[in-house]
Amino acid sequence: MISILACCANGSGTSLMMDMTLEKVIKQEGWNISKRHHCSISEGKNTSVNYDLVLCPQNFISMFKDAEAKGVKVVGLRNVMSAKEIKEKVEATGLDLK
Amino acid sequence: MLKDFVDKKHYLFVDEVSDWQEAIRKCCEPIIADETVTERYPDEIIRCVNEYGPYIVLIPGVAMPHSQEGGDMVKKTTISFMKLQKPVVFDESDPDSYADLFFTLASCNPDDHLKDMQELSALLENEDLVEELHGIKDENDLLRLAEKYKL
Repeated sequence: MISILACCANGSGTSLMMDMTLEKVIKQEGWNISKRHHCSISEGKNTSVNYDLVLCPQNFISMFKDAEAKGVKVVGLRNVMSAKEIKEKVEATGLDLK
Repeated sequence: MLKDFVDKKHYLFVDEVSDWQEAIRKCCEPIIADETVTERYPDEIIRCVNEYGPYIVLIPGVAMPHSQEGGDMVKKTTISFMKLQKPVVFDESDPDSYADLFFTLASCNPDDHLKDMQELSALLENEDLVEELHGIKDENDLLRLAEKYKL
């Protein structure tokens, strides 16, 4: 069981799209998610350490260096509408999704 | 959603722009005209892209310009559509960061915004429809596709 944060610059556009795609993958795959939230980068920089996994656009990865150093997995996406990309990249983190 | 663009006059067809900044200014014109957002809204979007990169390009070819939810620049919640006949590139070093379809978000009501976004998500997931949108020329095409796809 893991917690996931979807993060973009503003917290209401790209991150919401990511979160909606993620929701579909969770339902399809039957992942066990304890907490899910989407937010802006300013909020996410402070709260990302409280999550197991952060989803963000590819070019945002470097903004989560601190969280990554503390063990948070950070996944960058090229296509935030792609359920396939989210599924493959999240599975590749090795986190326990059941 | 496609018919709403026409009904609300939230659409624009443009042949070509000189750069992505001009594309952002253009795509906001319909929602500035009916006072959904203030004239400063495009500047704020441009500032965000300058700061964070072309994260508003959702999938290659499709951009979703937006800024922070709420704030004093946004008066209503809606989505506006723009089609460029010639795609514009956001970041020369990133071959995927181009767009000819623009879905410009304005949001001050989180519930209405969520509904808009669910509709937009359903639309963008339909690959056949997105493919057809890349080829449209005017509002009659929007209405035709609205009828065909019921979206």
